[in-house]
Amino acid sequence: MTDGIRIRGLSHVYAGGGESVAALGGIDLEIPAGQFVSLVGASGCGKTTLLDILSGLLEMQAGEVLLAGKPPQAGRRDMARMFARDALMPWKSAAGNVEFALATRIGDTKERASRVDALLESVGLGEFRDALPGELSQGMRQRVALARTFSLRSRFIMLDEPFGALDALTKITLQDRLVELWEQISGSTVVLVTHDLAEAAALSDRVIVMSPRPGRIVADVPVDLPRPRNVRALHAMDGFQKLVAGLWETLDAAS
Amino acid sequence: MNERIAVAAGRLLLIVLWAAAWELTAQSGALPRGLIGQPSVFLMDFVELLIDGTFPTAALITLQAVFIAFALGAVLALATALLMTVAPLVERLASPIIDALNALPRVALIPLFILWFGIGLEQKVASGVSIMYFVLLSYTMAGAKSTDPDHLRLARSLGIPGWKVFVEIIVPSALPAIFAGLRLGMIYTVLGVITAELIAGGKGLGTLVSYYSNTFDPNGVFATLIALVIVTTGMTMAMTRMERSIMRWHVPITT
Repeated sequence: MTDGIRIRGLSHVYAGGGESVAALGGIDLEIPAGQFVSLVGASGCGKTTLLDILSGLLEMQAGEVLLAGKPPQAGRRDMARMFARDALMPWKSAAGNVEFALATRIGDTKERASRVDALLESVGLGEFRDALPGELSQGMRQRVALARTFSLRSRFIMLDEPFGALDALTKITLQDRLVELWEQISGSTVVLVTHDLAEAAALSDRVIVMSPRPGRIVADVPVDLPRPRNVRALHAMDGFQKLVAGLWETLDAAS
Repeated sequence: MNERIAVAAGRLLLIVLWAAAWELTAQSGALPRGLIGQPSVFLMDFVELLIDGTFPTAALITLQAVFIAFALGAVLALATALLMTVAPLVERLASPIIDALNALPRVALIPLFILWFGIGLEQKVASGVSIMYFVLLSYTMAGAKSTDPDHLRLARSLGIPGWKVFVEIIVPSALPAIFAGLRLGMIYTVLGVITAELIAGGKGLGTLVSYYSNTFDPNGVFATLIALVIVTTGMTMAMTRMERSIMRWHVPITT
């Protein structure tokens, strides 16, 4: 038994409309506790399917998945999930959206409110606690979503292309925030699904490259960059550029 | 702003022209005055019946039944919607039955309601509820289906109980549809109550319509119709006001 994530022989087939699509074709993966892992691969390689199974949002069909020794289940107390679009509720304020998640963990209203304020402060949105999502820019909304995800201080954090819709500059700022937030909660295991190889390299300890449908692991690339990291500084580093170029080659060879 | 004034003036002109044509037709005798009425006469009738208290009293009696039916129908419809969303099996069982009942011309039930409840307030309320309930239920269920799937997945991943998902996610998502249902339901509740009054008598506005019509007084009928239009327009306007203040997030805010 391990405190991390253990995946053995995981396959998944989507059946429907007479046609069935094999999304995952036998995944074996061991993620030690506290590791930050990225899943990369072409569209339709089953990355999100894998993340949905880990989050307990999709029923497992074949294989074995254990998170800290227990099978995945939606609503697990030690799990937080972030969605590709921010999934903020437009009728709740920034603070209200963060509180919505936190209310499942902290009963005391005062303690909760001060946690919410501290979190919004830490993502630079202290002044916008009462703003509605419609009044915020895309980048600000994604920051609220980050605060909501990290408010739970979960042992397992599942991120599905959190910055896919952002411009390059906002993206790097938010990646730095993400790294900071993650470093604040020690020992939490992160699985990040992304299309962006530079993002994967900059944030993770390890990048898993997947093949197109049915998704299989074709490469397991360690990222030996020192922590704490600064994403903007990394982009200027020679070693970093080489790492990203290497990931591109691996990805090209896989598809 | 100028355009708005122009449009309002145009509308007024349209009504004046229409009334003038009507008045001329009646005065010239091209169509029998005793059947089509005469604007100059029924406008005076309207003012007279307003001042002597006939309309206010009748309107209050009708409105009492309308409000009870509206509130009761709304509560029952929302409760049914809650049950159907929290327990999808209930929806699968009940929805064809509900559709069939909704297809039934409710006017045909009024004699039955008179048999059950007599000719007083209760049968008018029953008639109003029998329409209001289905209108709001179908709008609410359609609105509930428009809920952002990411919001529901987020709630699942947080382990939020079904009733809370209904109150905090489904109702706000369905709110635009719920308000459309409330507005339409309001008008249909008036229809149900007026029809019941036409059939069963009593002292409401519907009874006045049937009284004037039975005494061959088209001017009295038109005067009562003016009162009815004022009452229903007032109610829909109040509803729109409420809708705007509640659905703050629906108003696009430019920053």
